Amino acid sequence: MTATLGYVPFVDPIHALHDWWYLLLVPLAFGISVIYRALKMPRLHRYWRAVATMTVQILLAMVALAVALVVVVEVVIPWLPAE
Amino acid sequence: MAAILAWLWPGLGHISHGERRRGLLIMFGVLFLFLGGVLIGGVDSVDRKDDRLWFLAQVLCGPIALVVDYANHATIKRLPDDWVARYEQGDPGVRTQLRRKSLGHVNEMGTLFSALAGLMNLVAILDALHPSHRRDEMRRRWSTAP
Repeated sequence: MTATLGYVPFVDPIHALHDWWYLLLVPLAFGISVIYRALKMPRLHRYWRAVATMTVQILLAMVALAVALVVVVEVVIPWLPAE
Repeated sequence: MAAILAWLWPGLGHISHGERRRGLLIMFGVLFLFLGGVLIGGVDSVDRKDDRLWFLAQVLCGPIALVVDYANHATIKRLPDDWVARYEQGDPGVRTQLRRKSLGHVNEMGTLFSALAGLMNLVAILDALHPSHRRDEMRRRWSTAP
């Protein structure tokens, strides 16, 4: 029976996401922000706004790190003398 | 007691000492990350034998990680000894088991999501141990407010 079934959520992996893995950083940053803000804020006033801000901050920081690494690997290292 | 409750089910530690909304938000966040990881990587993303270090982080989510690991070992990991021959003969059961093995980025992201859920729940467990610190922080802020 099981062998004849197609995709089973939470049992089968979503192989289609293999080439789009970097898009998963968005829900990852969102999940971390939800927990961190729930623990950090003394009052939960404007909670979801704080979560959205932190999610964007995490994503921008990751993009900035990626750009910095590309610059180091593609520009700085080839520019250095060979010896 | 609050720490044990927080490990048994994410958010229960805070709910037990009256911080209901905070506890529900922690529950939502930890389950979002953990179940998101299992949805992306399948049950194979929680594995106490092949990914032991990751599992140490994942198990901080509580018994839910043990259940997913059990499901992994009861289904995907239980391959028959002659699985190569059966695979070549086109055995649909063996083929389904192998298709359920998560590989590459899908496995990495699924494992990362559920491990981060466990590590964030560890922070929540430690926070549940000291429920008074937030009240002290609020009092300090109000007393210094202009």
